[in-house]
Amino acid sequence: MRWLGDLLFRLKALFRREELEGGLDEEIRFHLEMEEQKLRDEGMNATEAHRIARVRFGGEDRYRERARESWGVGVLTELGSDVRFATRRLLEHPTFSLLAVLTLALGIGGTVALASVVQALMIRPLPVADAERVVTFWSEYNWRGEEFDHVREIPESFEEIAAYSIDSYTLRADAGSSLVLATVASAELFDVMGVRPLLGRGFRAGDDRPGAERIVVLGHSLWRQEFGADPDVLGRRVALSGEPHTVVGVMPEGFYFPTPETGLFVPLDLDPADPAYAGNGWLVLTGRLRAGATDAAVQRDLERITTALGARYDYPTEWDKTRGAYVTPLREYLFGDLRPALLLLLGAVGVLLLMACVNVAALILTKTVDRTREMSVRAALGAGRARLARQVLTESVILGLAAGAVGVLLAVAAFDLLVASLPLRDAFRETVTLDWTALLTGVLLSVVSGSLIALAPMRSLLSGDLSSFGFGDRNSGRGGVQASRMQRTLVFAEVLLAVVMVTGAALLVRTVGELRALELGFEPEGLVALDILLPEEQTTEVERAAYFTELLVRAEALPGVSGATLLNRLPLADGGMQASVTIPGHPDLQGADRPTALFRPLTPGGFELLGMRLVEGRTFEATDTRDAPPVAVVNETFARRVWGDEIAIGRTYRSGFALGDVLIVGVVADMAVTDLTGAPPMVGYYPWDQALRGEAFGILTIRASGNPTEIVPALRGLVQELDGRAAVGRVQTMDNVVDAEMAEPLRLRFFLGVFAVLGLVLGTVGVYGVVSYSVERRRAEFGIRMALGAEPARLMGTILKQGMLPVVLGVVGGTACALLASGVVARFLFEVEPTDPGSLMVAAAALLVAGGVAALLPALRASSADPASALRSD
Amino acid sequence: MPGPGDDMIRGTLDMLILKVLSQEPMHGWGIGERIQRISEDALQVNQGSLYASLHRLTREGWIESTWGRTENNRRARYYRLTAAGERRLGTERAEWERLSAGVDRILGWT
Repeated sequence: MRWLGDLLFRLKALFRREELEGGLDEEIRFHLEMEEQKLRDEGMNATEAHRIARVRFGGEDRYRERARESWGVGVLTELGSDVRFATRRLLEHPTFSLLAVLTLALGIGGTVALASVVQALMIRPLPVADAERVVTFWSEYNWRGEEFDHVREIPESFEEIAAYSIDSYTLRADAGSSLVLATVASAELFDVMGVRPLLGRGFRAGDDRPGAERIVVLGHSLWRQEFGADPDVLGRRVALSGEPHTVVGVMPEGFYFPTPETGLFVPLDLDPADPAYAGNGWLVLTGRLRAGATDAAVQRDLERITTALGARYDYPTEWDKTRGAYVTPLREYLFGDLRPALLLLLGAVGVLLLMACVNVAALILTKTVDRTREMSVRAALGAGRARLARQVLTESVILGLAAGAVGVLLAVAAFDLLVASLPLRDAFRETVTLDWTALLTGVLLSVVSGSLIALAPMRSLLSGDLSSFGFGDRNSGRGGVQASRMQRTLVFAEVLLAVVMVTGAALLVRTVGELRALELGFEPEGLVALDILLPEEQTTEVERAAYFTELLVRAEALPGVSGATLLNRLPLADGGMQASVTIPGHPDLQGADRPTALFRPLTPGGFELLGMRLVEGRTFEATDTRDAPPVAVVNETFARRVWGDEIAIGRTYRSGFALGDVLIVGVVADMAVTDLTGAPPMVGYYPWDQALRGEAFGILTIRASGNPTEIVPALRGLVQELDGRAAVGRVQTMDNVVDAEMAEPLRLRFFLGVFAVLGLVLGTVGVYGVVSYSVERRRAEFGIRMALGAEPARLMGTILKQGMLPVVLGVVGGTACALLASGVVARFLFEVEPTDPGSLMVAAAALLVAGGVAALLPALRASSADPASALRSD
Repeated sequence: MPGPGDDMIRGTLDMLILKVLSQEPMHGWGIGERIQRISEDALQVNQGSLYASLHRLTREGWIESTWGRTENNRRARYYRLTAAGERRLGTERAEWERLSAGVDRILGWT
């Protein structure tokens, strides 16, 4: 029971502190009086007795302290007074405190915000049960219905496999037509996802077979927006692209697949009689692994699938589905592209936080050395060294917490900006939010950085001999020397980190420059494109053809529009529509070697509108109608690949999109069709009238003479005016599309640029602080030297040399680190080596110049000082 | 000026205090005086550490204190041995005797 008594005593001591304290004072007073009395009795005079009694007793404070420690409440009660003392001290130095808090807040805020994004995209559970068991198959938007039916039963390590694609529909709800994206999927979709509907049912076996009733399952947000969250929506019939579908279910809130943009779920129609069933691939396969399925079992399944595919189909080399089979976990599939960039940014902001800590530590160290006398006095008065160190720690942690509070506020304020700058699709942005984990991260970072900051000053305090901190002469303290060595180490670390950061930013600046200099092959300025969809079931081919013809004519007539065309795929934004081509009389381009070309119809004048360059022959004329002989224009890659140096014009070929034999009438220069940096693919261009006349979907692309977005309302009005059933989907300017293609390097450049500037500032402030502090400390010495005839220039040289040493070492170390870390940024670069000497030199030069200026200012001040006043200062 | 508390084996001062208090309750100053007098000035108590020791012993429950009056009618804190303190003194004393006997044997060894 000893511990109980002990605890009671401690508690009593804690609460009855005043009483005990009073007792202690009285006891000591009594003791001293008795001692004095005794000394007087021995014949000493009163004054002397008074003094000797106190000398014999020793430092009263120290014994009070020890008595208190023996009560065992020291830590608790002293914490309170430490906090009060630290707060008072910080408030007494508002500039220092503000600087420290802001520096740290930037680091903490940035880390909190980015950590939240990482948490949302990479850690937070997906809206799918046991998401780690859901995978997608290697070939994306490339499976045919036929292939799916052929392979779906093979794998033993999967519970279910589903096929899906994304399609757009017009939705006739109460408020006019809107264009919606739907996940069109086989009956197994919701079983693979492992999610039950909120209302009604999901898909049933047979829903995806010919003759099944047309049904639709609504996503939660579309149900809210279009149907006012009506619980009686089940059984309602809605028109999707003009065709009635019965609502059979509503999915729970938060569920989406594969992106939050798809608002509803429609069963596929897997009809072997439909040409699309065996036509070009357009599906994604996704499956749910059995619990405990091993990698080896999955691998065996993949091999069985490819064997089955190889036995039945004859693939051209370019898309040979029997090669390179693999599965991708769902999260990887959805966000994998984003992960490296996010981790890079998180790393960078972490480095920034580290720099901020180092900077504040250097500042505190300065303060600590300034406090040499205070510390010596307090040590002499009996304050324990541990107590002094604890005070430094308390100060740092308070700074850290204040910075954490400001940082979390900053993160909240800047979070939307950050998310908006990420290359995320809009719909995913909504899933990225700050929550309580951000607050937790903030608190954690505050305490950790506060403690980190305290490390250096505490070390110098604990290792230095406090009693040798000189009274009066603050130049000779050993603690001071140690502290300034520590400061130089911190400056070295800061410069090193800054060099790494600036190098990264410089590399991305160069990458963006290289991307900008790429030949696009068309002129994006002034182009704006609107997706337009007519309800297929409610309109005839003739009506649709007439509609789009009329739309083009009317759009071109709008003021501010210099031309218009129809496209089926927007350059850079859309891929797909690729078919193999057959060349008559070209035996080596058969079988597996037969080439594939992108299918890109447009209207006459389209090439000119896009600003493409004609290499030879002609472009399309108004006479290339449905009744005229079918023609095509191919790109240079197509012509060179198939006919080499021979003339392509006048030859014929056959494409997979059912046009019959087409005659090549022209060759155009290559342009960026699917991406900016890849090798250009083969592209076949066809007159819209011959290839897609009567289609329900087209991308109206116009060139505006002014700002292209200003013309959009007029275009929307026109689309609706011509037919109220037509719906407008995406609207994008070509400039934005091109920028989006460069989004990742652009964003990274922006953020790394900001971080690099902050890093430079931090590094400069650090160097300046340390050098001006050491100058300040040695003023008297400099005064004496100058009085003895030292030349100001030499003095300045000495100061500069001392100040620049850690900077130079930091630049060398930073360059080495940047070289070591070059692999990290390599994947974000284009046409720039991660070890690019130019970027490394820029970073080194930036730090040397900034450090030089930071060291020069105090050096100048020191050498121009009047020796006499310098001498008097201490 | 060496004295128990700082240089002596930790706990020796505690034992001396317990011994003094086993005779009669006493205030802090008196304890120091008595140790010095009985040891014929061989041991001078570092007066500050005396109080640290007193507080430690109080916490251990070996002594307790009350406020009382001196012969000159001054208020002072008097310390008194508890039953646990008496047992403790016995242990410490046995330990000390064992130790000093050992030291004696070494010093007397020829």
